[in-house]
Amino acid sequence: MSGHPQIELPRTAGVVVVGAGVSGCSVAREIVKYTPDVVILEKESDVADATTKANNAEVHSGIGEKYGTLKQKLNVRGNALYDEFVKDLDIAFERQGLLLVFTPRTLPENVTSRLPAGVVEFLLSRVIPRLVMHSARRKGIPGQRMLSRDEILRMEPHVTRDAVAGVFDPTYGLVSPYKLTIALAENCVANGARVFLDTEVTDIRVERGAVRSVVTNRGEIETPLVINAAGLFADEVADMAGAGGFRIHPRKGASLLFDRELTYNYVKSSVSEFKMFRKGLSKGGGAMPTAEGNLQLGPTAIEVEDKYDTSISAEEIQEIFERFYTLLPDFPRNAMISSFSGVRAPTEEEDFVIGASDTARGFVNVAGIQSPGLASAPAIAEMVLGIVQGLGVPTEPRTDYNPRRNAPPKFIDLSHEERDRLIAKDPRYGRIICRCEYITEGEVVDAIHSIIPARTMDAVKRRTRVGMGRCQGGFCGYRLAAILAGELGIPVTEVTKDGGGSWMFAGETKSLIRQRAVAEDSEAGR
Amino acid sequence: MKAIRRPDCAVIGAGPAGLGAALAAGRAGLKDVVLIERDIELGGILPQCIHDGFGSIVFKEVLTGPQYAQRYIDEVEKADIEVMLNTMVLDLAPDRKITAVSPEQGMVELEPRSVILAMGCRERSRHQVMIPGYRPAGVITAGAAQRDINIEGLMPGRNVVILGSGDIGLVMARRFILEGASVEGVYEIMDHPGGLTRNVVQCLQDFDCPLHLSHTVTFIHGRRRVEGVTVAHVDEDLRPIKESERYVPCDTLVLSVGLIPENELSRKAGVVLDPVTAGPFVDERMETMAEGIFACGNVVNVFDLVDYVTRSAEVAGEGAAEYVLQGRKREAPIRVVPGRNVKYVVPQFVSDFSRDIDFYFRVEHPERAVTARILAGADAVSSKKHKMVRPPEMLKSNMKAAAFDGAERAGGPKVDRVTVEVVSRET
Repeated sequence: MSGHPQIELPRTAGVVVVGAGVSGCSVAREIVKYTPDVVILEKESDVADATTKANNAEVHSGIGEKYGTLKQKLNVRGNALYDEFVKDLDIAFERQGLLLVFTPRTLPENVTSRLPAGVVEFLLSRVIPRLVMHSARRKGIPGQRMLSRDEILRMEPHVTRDAVAGVFDPTYGLVSPYKLTIALAENCVANGARVFLDTEVTDIRVERGAVRSVVTNRGEIETPLVINAAGLFADEVADMAGAGGFRIHPRKGASLLFDRELTYNYVKSSVSEFKMFRKGLSKGGGAMPTAEGNLQLGPTAIEVEDKYDTSISAEEIQEIFERFYTLLPDFPRNAMISSFSGVRAPTEEEDFVIGASDTARGFVNVAGIQSPGLASAPAIAEMVLGIVQGLGVPTEPRTDYNPRRNAPPKFIDLSHEERDRLIAKDPRYGRIICRCEYITEGEVVDAIHSIIPARTMDAVKRRTRVGMGRCQGGFCGYRLAAILAGELGIPVTEVTKDGGGSWMFAGETKSLIRQRAVAEDSEAGR
Repeated sequence: MKAIRRPDCAVIGAGPAGLGAALAAGRAGLKDVVLIERDIELGGILPQCIHDGFGSIVFKEVLTGPQYAQRYIDEVEKADIEVMLNTMVLDLAPDRKITAVSPEQGMVELEPRSVILAMGCRERSRHQVMIPGYRPAGVITAGAAQRDINIEGLMPGRNVVILGSGDIGLVMARRFILEGASVEGVYEIMDHPGGLTRNVVQCLQDFDCPLHLSHTVTFIHGRRRVEGVTVAHVDEDLRPIKESERYVPCDTLVLSVGLIPENELSRKAGVVLDPVTAGPFVDERMETMAEGIFACGNVVNVFDLVDYVTRSAEVAGEGAAEYVLQGRKREAPIRVVPGRNVKYVVPQFVSDFSRDIDFYFRVEHPERAVTARILAGADAVSSKKHKMVRPPEMLKSNMKAAAFDGAERAGGPKVDRVTVEVVSRET
């Protein structure tokens, strides 16, 4: 059992991983293949509950990364490892491919306005695509293909008519970042590791130049090995061990999500308008289909002060609309059902910081992981395994490690006969809770009793998609809260949206009137 | 494989529309009517509408929502109608085949001879009106808040701001106040209230709850739970005026920002939808453009009185019976067009003028001293005076069966369209 707050922390652990995002869980799973003595600490109420949950799901090829950087190398390597990485995890991963489109906006206006139209056309249709192809080859990314305007429009009929040429990158894929992380964490726990949620690291004790223990809000764990995968807070955790020297500066990214019924198959691959000499630090984002078939647009890239700033402003929504209106002139603006925003965790140098500390032996940083962190995850895990094996983690694989993780049944994906069998076994699989996404009570209950138990509304949502449809929980909100309360054995008024302070109900009806009456009585008595 | 049920008529949804349609289909002679409801009880949204104001047209009485629903539920129980509760329709094919699921029966398939769509509508969420900010707990639609309080006995918040002055928003302002919560105010982006005048008076004015017209919420604050909202005045183009922004502390934002007919099944069945109403195009029998598939109530367009929902349901039920029993085929339908100051009209088509037809319509903007007219071709065949018309208040005009014959027989050109218009009496 993991994740329950009442379960005490162990006194010792072979390895402590700080942070249960996609990086921490990828690294943990790699280590678990060699030793079960791994503890993962997470300060939020669920795994994948910070930067990871708002990731755009892109498994980049590495085409957008600067040649020679650590993240470029790990991105290309990670992408190549992906099929093997997710093979046993029972989650969807598909290489939809990325279509880079070259349009008159690919070059800055002050360039195009000075050149004859024929030259611009030549640059856009011949020169720039070849430069992109060459750059990809140099980075070791296979399979790129140049496309003519007609080929683009055949593949993606909604793309702007002023597209000149394109490059198709078939290695690019999409994977749900939180489903991946949940699957990785579950596989860790099934193989003996332990995950502790709502557990915040407050200090790292270093003695005689070596890590001795991790102090948390719930007690102290002695350990010789700490992996700092604390995302936005990796600089602070590193400083606790005196192993810092880098600073994480939060950068927000917002995306928009559209109604699946109205945008299904709107784009088949991810589509992005290529812009040279682009200002700003995002790769520009794209229009992409989610695993479920919704159209998603984004993300933006905005420097923020607050590591918790997951807000989205009117200007950002407007910016996304304008950006994609030029690329996809007919996208259904009125079909937007949700927007979300997450905070990236880059360093000043804008590269990954992965390595063992010189000053605190046994302390390993996995920091500065921003896009393409999701794509790089398998390669990051591989690299960190090498490092920790030099610090005492066994080099012989366990014989009792089971790589297989099975996802619980998903009603809507089953045949009629399979559904009938499931409902005969447990009628709760015949009760639809989420009317937009067709999620059953049985699936909600499975999530609540899964290996990393879902204890909040959002945790159930991430595992089942309940409330993620066009009504955004309008119909199922109470029902979900009631099931959570029933299964967890708590009053429904204690159910939260996403942990600490995110209460759903102020109390039962009449309770406010009673409170008011009591307050007035004591006022009158005075 | 289980046997496939082949009823005369399957009604999808058992709110006021579905209840009324099933009863009307039975009364009109259909023997085998199935009523499919996804919830555990009949009545749709009515059981949570514990305020009064229902039934003034149909029953000439003032009833609460549960009372109104109960009259129909009692009738359905007496009638020989098969009720399938807890049953969710997953698919409706163009050939009318229904695939549904329930905990008791598992997967269920029906091949009804006629279908009546009565799925109602759903509330727009914060994202559909694009309210920027954080995504904390405490942002809730008015209908969901109403369900929490009136059915589940739970308070979704203590200090409430309401965005949108639609009827549910107004009713919920009063409900929160009566439950001891504080309602800081109701904010409405338009310069006129979105709900019925009687609700503005009875729910806000009687409780000294302020209504801020031409205002909207521009930001939701709070990472875990709502801590406040920023509100602002809007200009004539409904754009927030930055300088007028004001922070209002609250723990709950209740949204009453519009309803959308719920037509996902209609789309699957290939039923053509009217982009203006977001519901199916229907003719005077409430038959959609897909043969044998009828629609009624808020799935067609959002009615503001349940009485109108019931009336449309009765027409649909009778239409389905006529289709099944007499094999009525639609004649070449004539288009019904919105004329001056009319946003839309239901039904959008007419193919048979042999009976009286009710037209439901909304104006585009408020206007005083007007006449609502129905024109068959160029001839006015019905006119009705109104002192005041407003977009939130749906209008109804009746066209007599004989009226159209008169227009045709008068020797003019063949009537190719019906127009509904609102004209001023002041000029």
